[in-house]
Amino acid sequence: MPEQPIRAVEAEGDFAVSMTGVSMRFGTVQALDKVDLHVKRGTVHALVGENGAGKTTLMRILYGALQADEGEVRLDGKPVQFRTSKQAIESGIGMVSQHYGIIPDMTCLQNLMLGAEGGPILDPKAESRAEELARRMGFQFNWRRKAESLSPGGAQKLEILKLLWRNARIMILDEPTAMLSPSDGDALFASLKKLAGQGATVILVTHRLPEVLDHCSTVTVLRGGLRVAEKTVKETNGRELAQLIVGGSIAEPPALTAEVGASVLHVQDLTVSGERGHDALRSVSVRVGSGEIVGIAGVDGSGQRELFQAIAGLIRPRAGQIAIAGFDAQTASSRQRIALGLRIIPEDRHEEGLIEDWSLEENAALSLQRLSPFARGLAVDVKGREAAAAAIAERFDTKHGGLKLPVRSLSGGNQQRFVAARALFLSPKAILAFQPARGLDLNSTTRVYEGIREACKGGAGALVVSFDLDELLEYCDRIVVMNRGEMFHPDPDHARDRDQIGRLMVSAS
Amino acid sequence: MPARQPLAWLKEGWALWVLVAGSVLVVYGALLLVQAPPRQTGIDLVVGSLGSAHAISGTLNEVTPLLISGIAVFLGLKAGLFNIGVEGQFTIGALAATLVALRLPGPVGMVGAVIAGMAAGGLIALPAGAIKAYRGGHEVITTIMLNNVVGLIATALVAGPLKAPNAESPETSSISASSHLPDLIHIGNLEINGGLLIGVLVAIGLAVWLRRGVTGFELRAAGANPTAARFAGINQKLVILKAMTWSGAIGGLAGAVQVLGSQYYFTPDLSSGYGFDALGVALIAGGSPIGLIPSASLFGILHKGGTSIQLMDQVPKGIMYVVLGLLIVIAAAARYRKKLVSDG
Amino acid sequence: MVSWALTLRDQTFIWSAPVALAAMGGFTSERSGIINIALEGKMLTAACVGFICSLYTPNPYLALLAAIGASTALSLFHWLLTQKYRLDHIISGMAINAIAAGATDYLYNKFAGASTSGIVLLSMKFFWAFAYSVPLLLFLYVRYTRGGLRLFAVGNDPAKSRLLGLQPLRVRLCGLLATGVFTGVAGAMLFTNAGQFTLGMTAGKGFIALAALIIGGWRPIPALLASLGFGFCQALQLQLQGTSIFGANLPAEVYSSLPYIITVVALAGFLGRGKAPAGLGKL
Repeated sequence: MPEQPIRAVEAEGDFAVSMTGVSMRFGTVQALDKVDLHVKRGTVHALVGENGAGKTTLMRILYGALQADEGEVRLDGKPVQFRTSKQAIESGIGMVSQHYGIIPDMTCLQNLMLGAEGGPILDPKAESRAEELARRMGFQFNWRRKAESLSPGGAQKLEILKLLWRNARIMILDEPTAMLSPSDGDALFASLKKLAGQGATVILVTHRLPEVLDHCSTVTVLRGGLRVAEKTVKETNGRELAQLIVGGSIAEPPALTAEVGASVLHVQDLTVSGERGHDALRSVSVRVGSGEIVGIAGVDGSGQRELFQAIAGLIRPRAGQIAIAGFDAQTASSRQRIALGLRIIPEDRHEEGLIEDWSLEENAALSLQRLSPFARGLAVDVKGREAAAAAIAERFDTKHGGLKLPVRSLSGGNQQRFVAARALFLSPKAILAFQPARGLDLNSTTRVYEGIREACKGGAGALVVSFDLDELLEYCDRIVVMNRGEMFHPDPDHARDRDQIGRLMVSAS
Repeated sequence: MPARQPLAWLKEGWALWVLVAGSVLVVYGALLLVQAPPRQTGIDLVVGSLGSAHAISGTLNEVTPLLISGIAVFLGLKAGLFNIGVEGQFTIGALAATLVALRLPGPVGMVGAVIAGMAAGGLIALPAGAIKAYRGGHEVITTIMLNNVVGLIATALVAGPLKAPNAESPETSSISASSHLPDLIHIGNLEINGGLLIGVLVAIGLAVWLRRGVTGFELRAAGANPTAARFAGINQKLVILKAMTWSGAIGGLAGAVQVLGSQYYFTPDLSSGYGFDALGVALIAGGSPIGLIPSASLFGILHKGGTSIQLMDQVPKGIMYVVLGLLIVIAAAARYRKKLVSDG
Repeated sequence: MVSWALTLRDQTFIWSAPVALAAMGGFTSERSGIINIALEGKMLTAACVGFICSLYTPNPYLALLAAIGASTALSLFHWLLTQKYRLDHIISGMAINAIAAGATDYLYNKFAGASTSGIVLLSMKFFWAFAYSVPLLLFLYVRYTRGGLRLFAVGNDPAKSRLLGLQPLRVRLCGLLATGVFTGVAGAMLFTNAGQFTLGMTAGKGFIALAALIIGGWRPIPALLASLGFGFCQALQLQLQGTSIFGANLPAEVYSSLPYIITVVALAGFLGRGKAPAGLGKL
């Protein structure tokens, strides 16, 4: 761990990045309120906070993607004002964002060269230069293949290489390990340490405290748009940081009880064809009984999405059986599966769960539109729908301005609460949840899982996909692991052993 | 249906007011260009369309096909489809209706003709719907291609086997008076045909179905967010197929009503101009099908009044189309704009 | 027999050339993310303006420039509508087609009265050379230049491209300007070949060009081949007109409708091959 204590008074030039008094307002929301950030050169600095605390907003300002309402930004002591990302890039700032700035349809080499400086004609020697740069970092790429073939860890490495290609001296990494396996994450931090040692400055935006404690030298905590602390890691510990982030004590996770009853969801030997000859799902079997919450751990891209969609009836498997609440469902349409009791909390609430322009009331009916109380026969039951929408909104305290307003008027967190509550409405039998706590703070996460637990006590069973192993360990009764389309059940004696599960996530070369 | 906030227009802003001002300028400029006196032209437009019982009848006569074909396009739009094939559906619906009415005179024939018109329109739209739903082929191209095909078929048939004996130009015989759609009102010079009532009823029916029908809900969902619709158990592909087919059927209905209520015989160009205008009618209508009625009325006034000013003020037809195109752009700007995704 | 085949070949090339060029115009705009169904209107306007200009000036190059200018102006308008006003792309395209139809009607009736004797036209060979070299140039451009890389990136994911420092609006402007040039030359080709302008003379070629682009997977060389394919069918149809098939004399209209039917069939069959630029229609 690098040791660079922060002294009370610093010469300005020591700070690679110095942001002072930065404020930003979106409509009625004050996203940032006079925030300061000081990062010394050659360090790995953590920026932590809950979702909505302002971390990403602050970094987007630094990167030129947003203009702050007020405040000053200095690089190496010199004031700068970026209007576009292009200017930031030219000043040596690079960002690796959560959504991966890699264009899957283009080759690795093309992705590397995108946006970088250079003449109109592409340099024929680019490939050899790229290879050399990669080797220096210990990476390896097939330059001519499309970037979609890269694993999440590989995509991450390509992103870092892109920054280096453009001689970035200040690197912003926004939740980089969100979808990496533990060992890929370790490899990433090893690279970052190397880079910092060579004089680069790294700002790590994260909400994972173990990362902060293990790999960073200094940390800034944001909460609700305010900076609440800036410390060296040595001076603090996990508990203190957690309290600073949340601003109070965290709710206790619900007790784990699992009186497992009849099968609500039974998948047997499910096989789904994938692209390029590999199967996306290989003979996957899993059984969820009523009363239990089963978590699926695994690195993103291991087949969870395909399993999810096959159970939901959105893609057709090549082989295998699916039974919902005891009924054979593999030939059933997705509507019929919903009627059988299948409920979904989808991965992407914008694309898959909600219609943004529609009112909360109409969104409440989505997926349930044919069932009472939303409809009577083929006619919409307006009163019934109104009442149902109100109940759904109340379930997890979705803050809204009126049921007739478009759902777009809700914040992301409230939208997620609404979608989760909708899935738990109307006696669910088999609950499929894909990252149900996405975008939610710790308290809301607990409540959503409490809600799922309640539904399970009432006879449902839940299958939850999450990329956050800690979340799964905390809220699920049983964990299975997916890796490259196969499902692995951990050895019962070590069913909740973090290391064992972590190894299952990446083993099987 | 999008929630309508009363002052959204004002808030959305200055850009919109600029566009409104721009459209006034466009009209003014066009008139200046053709050296037509603006005030006189405006008066002639209004008088020509609304100034007498005769004029009003003529205007309402224009409104009927615009309304029904507007409904067809509107239905498609709600499902996320651009049915540019209304012109072809109109033509083939009219042709089918004429043929049936010629063979079966009387009220039975009239009803049969309406059904035949709708069937023909639906059938010609079906391939476009199927290709879009199951192969992803863009319906704009397929419907325009089919328009051309229908146009050619109609021309060939009416010039040849279906031509009325003793006719100078390619047209069919007239259908017998017993097959005409009855008039609602016939007082002196004021004639309002039953076709208009059909249009209004269909518009109301569509409004009710979209708002209160479960399948209407599903159609709107499929148009608003296909992915979310799939997740909600809606069979996206089937919805598209049905929507396109029904849209075509309504387009065919428009043609049938035109023959049965207004023209009484078929010529290959009887649908000319209604295609793009139907799109305009649908765009200006807003969120609800009821809005199609005032929208079609506006277009009817422009059509009827437009013929007047063409004659009286020498405003060339071409310029009117340019102006109409620009006005539709302006109308669409208010409603069909894309929003920049802001990462939160 | 040989002369029949040669005529077939010539007719194919003659008919395909403007379609291929228009398809290239579609390529540069669609690859940058703009759905472009206005190729028809742009070509038509160019043909009309170019023809009228050639009636009043003995300089054929001026006429060509006028044609290009007209379609480029429409292209700029298209850019404004989709990028600055963020209008739906399909509606913008349809509006431009309608405006083009109206404008050409007006202009033709007003200015095209003069006799066509004595107008100076460029040699078609110049156009054909242009039309058939552009696809190759575009192919090289996309493969080997930074501009080509930017075009693909912006059309694939404009949001990410912005984060990478690219400017989608500017790239799209260049794309649409290129569309203007290509459709302008295509339109000029139409009136030069026919010796005059007739209303609606594009007769759907702009849409067939778009279909060729789609079938070609939004890549220049395959789109060119698709255009040639359509051209071949059209040439075949012209040859068959008047001859009897199965003893029956089919009316001309049946043959004329072949290119449209084939387009529909092609779109039904070929899609899936060659993915559309992922960012089509996105801001």
